[in-house]
Amino acid sequence: MTAGGWIFMVISWGAILLLAIFCFWKVFTKKRLE
Amino acid sequence: MVQKKARDTWGSRLAVIMAVAGSAVGLGNFLRFPAKAAANGGGAFMIPYFIALFLLGIPLMWIEWTLGRFGGGFEHGTAPGIFHSIWQKNRFIKYFGIIGIFGPLIIFIYYTYIESWTLAYSFFALSGKYRALADQAAMKSFLSGFQGLEKNQYFSSLAPAYLFFLATFFLNIVVIYYGIRGGIERLCKWAMPALFIFGAILMVRVLTLGTPDLSKPDWNIFNGLGFLWNPDFSALKNPKVWLEAAGQVFFTLSVGIGVILTYASYLSKGDDVVLSGLTASSTNEVAEVILGGSIIIPAAFVFFGPLDIQSIARSGVFNLGFVTMPLVLNKLPLATAFAFLWFFLLFLAGVTSSVSLAQPAVAFMEDEFDISRKKAVWIFSIVAFILCQPAIFFLKNGVVDELDFWGGTFFLVVFATVETILFGWVFGMEKAWDEIHKGADMRVPRVYKFIIKYITPLFLLFILSWWLLKEWLPIIFMRNVSVANRPYIFATRIGLLAIFLILGMMVRIAWRKKRVLEGKLR
Repeated sequence: MTAGGWIFMVISWGAILLLAIFCFWKVFTKKRLE
Repeated sequence: MVQKKARDTWGSRLAVIMAVAGSAVGLGNFLRFPAKAAANGGGAFMIPYFIALFLLGIPLMWIEWTLGRFGGGFEHGTAPGIFHSIWQKNRFIKYFGIIGIFGPLIIFIYYTYIESWTLAYSFFALSGKYRALADQAAMKSFLSGFQGLEKNQYFSSLAPAYLFFLATFFLNIVVIYYGIRGGIERLCKWAMPALFIFGAILMVRVLTLGTPDLSKPDWNIFNGLGFLWNPDFSALKNPKVWLEAAGQVFFTLSVGIGVILTYASYLSKGDDVVLSGLTASSTNEVAEVILGGSIIIPAAFVFFGPLDIQSIARSGVFNLGFVTMPLVLNKLPLATAFAFLWFFLLFLAGVTSSVSLAQPAVAFMEDEFDISRKKAVWIFSIVAFILCQPAIFFLKNGVVDELDFWGGTFFLVVFATVETILFGWVFGMEKAWDEIHKGADMRVPRVYKFIIKYITPLFLLFILSWWLLKEWLPIIFMRNVSVANRPYIFATRIGLLAIFLILGMMVRIAWRKKRVLEGKLR
């Protein structure tokens, strides 16, 4: 795998994992705007 | 006074997130995504993929969650009623909503059959029925025999496939019979974690394959990942790559079908949709990009090498899942266990999607004709069972491909375009923005006000016109269909038209009944 391949894989996995962790963390802490 | 029965509701927020994610995570996450990425620029494919996710997929997800919850407030769980609630002055808009029942019903009638193959192969993995097969030709022949496309030494009739179809169909009906909370929610609560555990086990197994054949050092797992992820930036100059990425995002999130509208209609008015929608989307993305991208293509590369993987990646979804993957898994220690995990993972992904496809038709009968869920499920199961038969017996004549084109491709994009325009332009962006944020646990970035109103509909209209001109016209005019199969395709189209017209008549009758009832109440 080339350096470019690693970069794309790590960024894609990282972005998706971060989004999922952020969402589930928010879901379980349940802060309401109202 | 006329007493309407209470609508079903979700038991918890996590339950609806799991159910929507379960609907979105399907066979495409594990088979379609890696093949598309590998064939369209590798890592570079993720640039248009993420752009489409943020400009098309996530806005559509929010639109459908919001419209669904809004319609549920008027006791409408399907698109005809939801569209009518948004644009009450327009007498015709409810008829556009028919697509939101027609699409999922059509997908259900062939998807259940394909889903039953995964259950059958889970059983074959445990019983060792294909364990001795060692090459692509033999495994292909096994699949063709099972599908009834040919009689061979493995299968002499369609009976085994039909038995597994009956079991799968029955399971789907049992789940929807027990309703949203007692059936779908209960299924997704254990099936989704199980799916992720199975996927993670398979991913770890594939990523620790190393270099199985030391005489071929290049056939290693890093080069296998490289086949999927090494970027080819020249692919980005090709508009087809951008459309493939947009198409993948569109299909993977289950938007444009009508299923999310129905699921979200069982939310209460104060329930959040912003965070829930985003969480369901991100769960789907984990299953697709992380699990889906790490199993089939890297594993096939390690065992078949850099030359064969090119043709394998282009061989189509069924070939990848039912021919290549069993061969790969056959070569591993504990082959039986891993093969079972793979096919049962696909089965779980399939069943959590197919129950969601059944729900709009059931909800339509419950909400608009005020009949009990159990009666609605009975009617649905009889009609769907009859409609499944052509998909099973005329598979070789291209009936499934035809159903997939109309139910699973064409009308999806049309429906998404209609609901986006309704949301941003008819409902109005200010009102829509307030509606999205009712009970919200997080705010949608303000830039999405612009994206939802202008970018998403333009994106959809562009996709619709491009696909229509470049890909759909030859399909519509049956240019690639053999002369022998044309009568079957023509008959399928007549059948689809009849279903559409019957649904149209049902909408007309339901609304006429409502008007009569309203008149009596006055």
